[in-house]
Amino acid sequence: MTKPITITVGVLALQGGVVEHLNLLRKAASHVQSSPPESTADNLQFTFTEVRTAPQLAQCDALIIPGGESTTMAIVARRLGLLDPLREFVKVQHKPVWGTCAGLVMLAEQAAATKQGGQELIGGLGVKVLRNRYGTQMQSFVAGLDLGFLGPGQEPFRAVFIRAPVVEAVIGEDGAAGSGVEGGKGAPVEVLGVYYRGEGQQQQEAGTGKGDIVAVRQGNVFGTSFHPELTDDVRIHVWWLRQVVDSLRHGKLVVNGA
Amino acid sequence: MATNLHPGANGTANDDFTVKAGLAQMLKGGVIMDVTTAAEARIAEEAGAVAVMALERIPSDIRKMGGVARMSNPEMIQEIQKAVTIPVMAKARIGHVVECQILEALDVDYIDESEVLTPADDQFHVAKSDFKIPFVCGCRNLGEALRRIKEGAAMIRTKGEAGTGDIVEAVKHIRTVNAEIAQAKAALAAGGDLGIAALAREIGCDVALLKQTAELGRLPVVNFAAGGVATPADAALMMHFGCDGVFVGSGIFKDAETPEHALRRARAIVKATTQYTDKKALIEASIEHGEAMRGISNAGLKPEEKMAGRGW
Repeated sequence: MTKPITITVGVLALQGGVVEHLNLLRKAASHVQSSPPESTADNLQFTFTEVRTAPQLAQCDALIIPGGESTTMAIVARRLGLLDPLREFVKVQHKPVWGTCAGLVMLAEQAAATKQGGQELIGGLGVKVLRNRYGTQMQSFVAGLDLGFLGPGQEPFRAVFIRAPVVEAVIGEDGAAGSGVEGGKGAPVEVLGVYYRGEGQQQQEAGTGKGDIVAVRQGNVFGTSFHPELTDDVRIHVWWLRQVVDSLRHGKLVVNGA
Repeated sequence: MATNLHPGANGTANDDFTVKAGLAQMLKGGVIMDVTTAAEARIAEEAGAVAVMALERIPSDIRKMGGVARMSNPEMIQEIQKAVTIPVMAKARIGHVVECQILEALDVDYIDESEVLTPADDQFHVAKSDFKIPFVCGCRNLGEALRRIKEGAAMIRTKGEAGTGDIVEAVKHIRTVNAEIAQAKAALAAGGDLGIAALAREIGCDVALLKQTAELGRLPVVNFAAGGVATPADAALMMHFGCDGVFVGSGIFKDAETPEHALRRARAIVKATTQYTDKKALIEASIEHGEAMRGISNAGLKPEEKMAGRGW
């Protein structure tokens, strides 16, 4: 119970908001260490690192794919021979991964409104995303989101949406293209956050109405349309690190939440 | 990069600036390419550009043709917007509020209030905080960068000397900015707030922004290189100096023999920028790039031929 564990979390550093995630991860780590998930070893150590190569990826227990331009990231990842190792990491090894904005696009099984000729994806989330859902930068915005997974009685999260994608459709378990490894198929796609435009969004419940799906999870793959890394709010990073700890501790997927 | 960086006092102003500066943060590590047609914009997108700058003539042609350089034709900007999914930027003349209003109404993603065009106002830059659309502005030194940020710029680029293919001015400007940031850190360490206030008077900038810069040890917004980047090695050089990314103006399409050659050049510059510490990648990128634009030596330009001196 008390043996030390060291968890290495990478941030894919091909392009985009890399440092922002690393900064918030470091802040989040001290929260998780001071109050670790139940039944976790006291001696919890984190290493945070930039990932640009397959060997660097292989050292990671979990990965964040940051915001940036998903077309650029896909092109650079292809050139560096990283797409297949990333797919292996997400869909075969089932290690915990979180994508924000462009990272969500990369983790989707399908994407709409891509450049002419389409773009390559990593996949892992059985969803179809719509790029640039709200339009150009003039339609970018900040909105308070009620995120139930952060726990009861939490303040709304000031979510920063920048030329953001949303989840247009949940393709479902069969479309998730699990590679047959246990725990891959069968994990449901959970809607964890919905944004309702206009008035009264706080009163709505996730999964109902006509809101946009902006946070989803399937097994160990988590995606958000917005950029927690552009705020000082550490709550989602803390939550995700706890998920990572639980997942590694149990040595299996966290399918239905902690 | 700190995330809470702005002059706005209340929550709404902070949110606005977070959104403006946030897009620039998402462009970091990337290349923004000047394009004059939808076909060129597609080449840039295929090569992995993080954004394109739509303009009627690349800076080297502006230089050659002379006359007054103005905001591009909206029709041409719209064609480029239709052609690509990455952000589209466009240039307005320094101080030309109405060109900025037009570009904002066109729904471009960023406005470059640029010395590459002929200035419209010889006293004031545009009051950029008044706009919802974010702005990028050029600088030659720290004081100029912080004056632009105080006016509302959410992204900075070093000016360099556009359209020359000569990197020397871009190097001079980033070196100057870096040296002055070091000076600000020293002033804060030695003299505290009084030291910062004295330096702010000397370089002509806002005290609070200078203090923030000293504390961060870098500019409080994203800073790209611009003006004279012609080869993959030039792009990697600017990354080496600590720039967050690179604007390439004439370097992709000037003197390119075919669209394929331009695509190879564009890919090579993206590769060199994203892998700027990887020597093997830089060799490959340099080979792929092929012959660069011929260029004009900065040393041979008369003062009135230089664009970097526009703005203050």
